[in-house]
Amino acid sequence: MDMKRDYYEDVQFFTSGAITFWLSTLVIGLTLFPFVAKNYYVYVANYMAINVIVVIGLNLLVGYTGQISMGHAGFFAIGAYGTVALMTHAHFPFLLALPVAGLIAAGFGFLLGLPALRLEGPYLAIATLGFGITITQIIGKIKILGERQGLHAPELTIGPWHLNTDRDFYFLLIPITIFLAVLARNLVHTKVGRAFIAIRDADIAAETMGVNLTFYKTLAFAVSAFYAGVGGGLYAFVLRFIEPELFSLFMSVMFLTMAVVGGLGSMMGPIAGASLLALLDLQLRNILGIPYIGEWLEALSRNYFSITGVSNIQMIVFGSILIAIMLFEPLGIYGIWIRTKKYWKMWPY
Amino acid sequence: MKKNLLSVFAVMVMILGLVLTASAEEGVTDTEIHIGQWGPQTGPAAPWGAVARGTDAYFKMINAEGGIHGRKLVHHYFDDAYNPAKTLAGVKQLQEDIGMFAYVSGVGTAPGLAVKDYLMERKIPWLGPSAGSRHWIQPPNKYLFNSYPLYLGDAQLLCKYGHETMGFKKFAIAYQNDDYGKQGLEGAQKQLDKYGLKLVEQIPVNVADTDMKPHIMKFKKAEAEAVLLFVGPGHVARLIGTGKAMKFNPQWFSTTTCGDHPLMMAITKGLYAGTISAAFGMMDPGAIGIGNKEDTNNPSLPLLAKYKKEAFDKFAAKEERWGMTFTAGIGYVEPFVEALKRVGRDLTREKVVAEMEKIKNFKGIMGNVSYAPFDPNDPLCRIGQQEVFLVRAEADGTSTILTDWFTTDFIPMEK
Amino acid sequence: MIEFLQMVLSGIAVGSSYALMGLGMVLIYKASEVPNFVQGEMALLPVFIAYMLLSSYGLPYYIAFPVTLIFAFFLGGILEFAVLRRAKEPNVLGLIIITIGMEMLLLGFVSWKFGADQRAMPFPISSYDSIIIGDIFISTLDMLTLVVALFIMLILFLFFRFSKIGVAMKATQQNENAAALMGIKTNQIRMITWGISAAVGSVAGLLIAPVLMEPYMMWDPMLKGFAGAVVGGMTSLPGAVFGAYIVGVVEHLFGGYVSIEFKSVVAFVVIVLVLCFKPSGLFARHYVKKV
Repeated sequence: MDMKRDYYEDVQFFTSGAITFWLSTLVIGLTLFPFVAKNYYVYVANYMAINVIVVIGLNLLVGYTGQISMGHAGFFAIGAYGTVALMTHAHFPFLLALPVAGLIAAGFGFLLGLPALRLEGPYLAIATLGFGITITQIIGKIKILGERQGLHAPELTIGPWHLNTDRDFYFLLIPITIFLAVLARNLVHTKVGRAFIAIRDADIAAETMGVNLTFYKTLAFAVSAFYAGVGGGLYAFVLRFIEPELFSLFMSVMFLTMAVVGGLGSMMGPIAGASLLALLDLQLRNILGIPYIGEWLEALSRNYFSITGVSNIQMIVFGSILIAIMLFEPLGIYGIWIRTKKYWKMWPY
Repeated sequence: MKKNLLSVFAVMVMILGLVLTASAEEGVTDTEIHIGQWGPQTGPAAPWGAVARGTDAYFKMINAEGGIHGRKLVHHYFDDAYNPAKTLAGVKQLQEDIGMFAYVSGVGTAPGLAVKDYLMERKIPWLGPSAGSRHWIQPPNKYLFNSYPLYLGDAQLLCKYGHETMGFKKFAIAYQNDDYGKQGLEGAQKQLDKYGLKLVEQIPVNVADTDMKPHIMKFKKAEAEAVLLFVGPGHVARLIGTGKAMKFNPQWFSTTTCGDHPLMMAITKGLYAGTISAAFGMMDPGAIGIGNKEDTNNPSLPLLAKYKKEAFDKFAAKEERWGMTFTAGIGYVEPFVEALKRVGRDLTREKVVAEMEKIKNFKGIMGNVSYAPFDPNDPLCRIGQQEVFLVRAEADGTSTILTDWFTTDFIPMEK
Repeated sequence: MIEFLQMVLSGIAVGSSYALMGLGMVLIYKASEVPNFVQGEMALLPVFIAYMLLSSYGLPYYIAFPVTLIFAFFLGGILEFAVLRRAKEPNVLGLIIITIGMEMLLLGFVSWKFGADQRAMPFPISSYDSIIIGDIFISTLDMLTLVVALFIMLILFLFFRFSKIGVAMKATQQNENAAALMGIKTNQIRMITWGISAAVGSVAGLLIAPVLMEPYMMWDPMLKGFAGAVVGGMTSLPGAVFGAYIVGVVEHLFGGYVSIEFKSVVAFVVIVLVLCFKPSGLFARHYVKKV
């Protein structure tokens, strides 16, 4: 690989003709997708994109700054409730409510970042985990947020554009996702990003070099929370109805899992991890419908397990995939990609 | 020439296909009716998965008897793990890949609300949601028919019986921290207001809580005589068990959710005996007579006995338990099957809705079900069943009938 | 005053099962340096095996329970040997995800085999009886849990102090390379540690199951045990026990005097407060990073 000689080269997008080609293919593919695919797959793509947004943000925190969060469902909830409440009670337009809700989440992220300054590893894990489950309890007590009865999302309109179908929503969601992904990529290449990485690699060394730990660690939390909040705001409009129980600890664990399985500290990793696991999450229920395998599993259940619990095979498959990826490659899917690329570049040596 | 013939043939087939699909309703063919359902088979809510399996066995029974007007019911049920995002995914895929004629039951408020708009916009009937939520009927939807009696009603009858018949004055409630529990709280408060009473203690129970000692201490301190349990079976077992260990023995009252006495007796190791719970069916209190016993494993209701023999014994998996969750899966869809029978051979969604609206005082294995022509301002036109009765769990796993059917009041949600 | 004492006692009672889970987590954290999210399910599977032995095969308690604990020991060892040790160039986050994967795997198997219905485990002691001291109640099952927890702590203490394997474990935890050079088979030691941890967790599981059994029953005790262990410092066995009791007591006092609704999350607020002052928990020596 050539050495990069100036800053512009570092942040530029189209580094080579091949990249330009692939990126434009991707954009065209994404644009055409909803016209060729069934509506269901557009819905799946929307669900994946929302997870991608959250996991890109989480990756900034976990992969680039070296912190851990098991409470991102909390920020996700704040974003979802914030967007809906701002639209119904304060009559904000959607495009304003969404970033404002994201900023509210970022504010909470900043607050959570404060105790996190002194914590690391399992201590930080349990503190963030506590935040995640406390926030839904608090939301469940607030009257204007519907308490435990939940909240309906209003009609989604942007100017004259009524977003009724999954396809409409797709054309709103995908540009937002791409914008946020590019933003994250550029952030990593700025002073801020380099400070994050310095903190991850050696925080004391970073401090002696003049990186303000307090500022950058809390900033990492805030930025990450902003992404989760925006994701949550969009999620509210996928479901059209939100209630506190949705934003469970399991969801936080899932986000972290996506980030790690995708590959920490890379840009493609979170996209790949979130897409793959979100897809699996939605599609595994069809596992018993696969010819031969499904029948074999049912026979197995009838003879050795229980047929009433047969759906739990989903969980077994999901767990096994997580284990397999992480055993094989600590850098996750991104690591596997790098390895394959290297292998073919060097082939046949 | 050959090629030409082939293409002509292909075009003809296509035209024929178009004509056929245009005339028949989505999800209905000459021999089949496709019906969808969701429900948790995995995750913490998985015990309610038996609802879908009950419906499945019931449909298989109907098919074994020859189907409905020559058509077999094809039941597509899937696991959503009580996650609304998955419910939406499953419904969309079923609808777009196969095309359902209607959806039945479906466990849970949040999963149901996630798909409600999707179904209603497409005018797809959805019958008998398996959760007593006011969201189904307020506002009412033309294509959504509730049948589960609201939890509000359980609370009304329990308080009425507790005060008027048993003479209790100090009522307390443990309520699950969600729509279900909050309805119980509201219903109890409204009913007690009529007697000038107040709940002496009201304690929320989080779904994840396992330790009930603080709850029992509060009840004890408030000297509650009667405690309403608007929680799930697991928490009922924990609360009653902890109460017993702390020498707190009030009259326990519970809901239709915990009306499965054999199950409750098993998980409380017999402590559930004496608990009074609401019931929405599976027996006819009038026929059995107040004060008499009913063994749910050996149902006296002829229809239910038939289901046990024809649906459960023949089509349920060997691990399946003959319990209330399973039979409820049958009960919720009975009005729909009745409507299908009444419509006849020429089946469309609009006709099913029209026949559903004509259902008055229909009685299957649950209580009286009635609907009325659609009126956007009247939730009661889609409420279905409004009556419940009370039973007491006995030490031998049977239930003693305490009251006859009682029609409860609908209390609208605050806006 | 009686009310206060009752709350404290109830807190200690519930803290005992947290303490057992916490002990299991700390043992593994010291051996493999990973917060072990499969701790609960390592206990869940043995508990369901015990249920099967008791109700399907009709074995008496004195056979079924020891068999269960032996099974748990092997289960823990196998998980370490067959899965965790196979991780290539492991990092902490990767290991956490592996434990989460194992958690789903075991939970999936238990739910697949036994279905989702709630059950109650047969047990020699009724969970509904209680001992009354003055005006204070403690259920016999809670009392048993407390005694068993203290007994296990004593055994672990003696084990680490006087047995050869125990000392070898401590050596491995302190400095793995040095221990290996001294001729200790560190891999084997780590496997045994996982086995012991699973067995300790299963004891907690067996004492929880008589109240109610379901596939998700170990989540809450596992989280609270983790919380307790973190308060205590994650690397200290007495710390984990003490932390778990703090969590139990605080929960009960908070539930009694302030709000039951927030009872289940107050533990985490306490943790954040404790950690603000002692970032490595109450009992662990604060690790100062050397530059």
